[in-house]
Amino acid sequence: MNYFHGPVADRLAAEYVLGTLRGPARRRFDALLPAHPALRAAVARWQDALLPLAASVKPVPPSSRVWSGIEARLFAERQAANATAAPGRWWQRVLPWRAATGLATAAALVLGVALSLPQPAQPPVLIVMSPNDAAAAGPALLAKARFVASVSADGRGLVLKPLDALPIDADRALELWAVPPQGAPRSLGLVAKDASTRVIRVELLKNTAAFAVSVEPSGGSPTGAPTGPIISVGKLES
Amino acid sequence: MATPSPLPSSRSGELAGLLTRVSLGDRAAFATLYRLTSAHLLGVVLRINSDRAQAEDLLQEVYVKIWGAAGSFDAQRAQPTTWLTSIARHQAIDSLRRKKVEPHWVTTRAGAEPDDDDELLDQLASSDAGPMELLGQAVQARSVAICMKGLTAEQQQTLALAFYQGLSHSEVADQLRQPLGTVKSWVRRGLLALRSCLERAGAIDPVGA
Repeated sequence: MNYFHGPVADRLAAEYVLGTLRGPARRRFDALLPAHPALRAAVARWQDALLPLAASVKPVPPSSRVWSGIEARLFAERQAANATAAPGRWWQRVLPWRAATGLATAAALVLGVALSLPQPAQPPVLIVMSPNDAAAAGPALLAKARFVASVSADGRGLVLKPLDALPIDADRALELWAVPPQGAPRSLGLVAKDASTRVIRVELLKNTAAFAVSVEPSGGSPTGAPTGPIISVGKLES
Repeated sequence: MATPSPLPSSRSGELAGLLTRVSLGDRAAFATLYRLTSAHLLGVVLRINSDRAQAEDLLQEVYVKIWGAAGSFDAQRAQPTTWLTSIARHQAIDSLRRKKVEPHWVTTRAGAEPDDDDELLDQLASSDAGPMELLGQAVQARSVAICMKGLTAEQQQTLALAFYQGLSHSEVADQLRQPLGTVKSWVRRGLLALRSCLERAGAIDPVGA
């Protein structure tokens, strides 16, 4: 099926922009967009066509809490990230944390718990990656294109574990991608088809809407963008 | 903090410049961008998700996304307002599936006659302009407004309900008390007719260009 070109792509793009493409279909379309320029071009064309209609919508000034919330989320996070990234002794790192959590933490300190855990242990982020049914790949491969990605809470480490060994040819490799909400996916490198792979990066979760795995030549994508079918996708809950 | 005003296209250059600065991490530019555009984008979100508290939460998400994605805005390829509006609409439409269990914002009265469509439409947006009025007011979108007028009344109505209210095919079918297949075909034919009109008017590039 010629899914990414021609009338089908155009119709899907039109309904995506109009808003009538919904539910799983919309999510699948979202996941496909980053890797398919023809689809993105069709969406851009329909946005040019339809979005000027929004110009007549009556403006409604938001309450001031919206802006303060944005500032808190964007710029407080950044300060916190800088604080943890800065080198220092463990008690320097624990101080802002203790101030934030107050008396309960003071009690915990007395119990000696915090002494051994200078930073609060946060659970990792788990992303279940499922087969991308729209991929141009054999059903045997797609059936096994399931992974669990576990990202450390600080966004610096990722472990990708295939649930099954993937039957790919010897001259092919699997490549992992971080897919942003807008723009091109970032390669996170090649991953094993039958074992866990550990990926260390800075800010794995920042500006990442989904993780995806594509089938590439054995040395990885020659272009820096996915060239083979995207066989598995897992979206981050926002 | 925001001045309620539409977003005239004359502002495009200013907004594009702000987005470039935002992509470089300029927080002052981000604050200005917010001041100039937040009322418009909240209006867009509220049309689709009329819950004010949820709409403001969504608006917050929208600007967090704008901050993160400003680098992918390409002034050569898109109008800043189109780019910003698409992010806001996407966020709002996405929120509807989570809300699906309680679509209290769509009121269909039991026992209404099939020819009560106009009345139902009026009910949809209680105090604000209805979708059809908005269509008429889209003065800045002259080409698309002119092309919309060339569609059949049914096509105009279905497209306006989908675009302005964020209704799905089946919700439009419920509103208009028409079979789902009929509504889908109005949408599809309406979009195709709209596109060929816009291509003729030179408002959009033809497919394959």
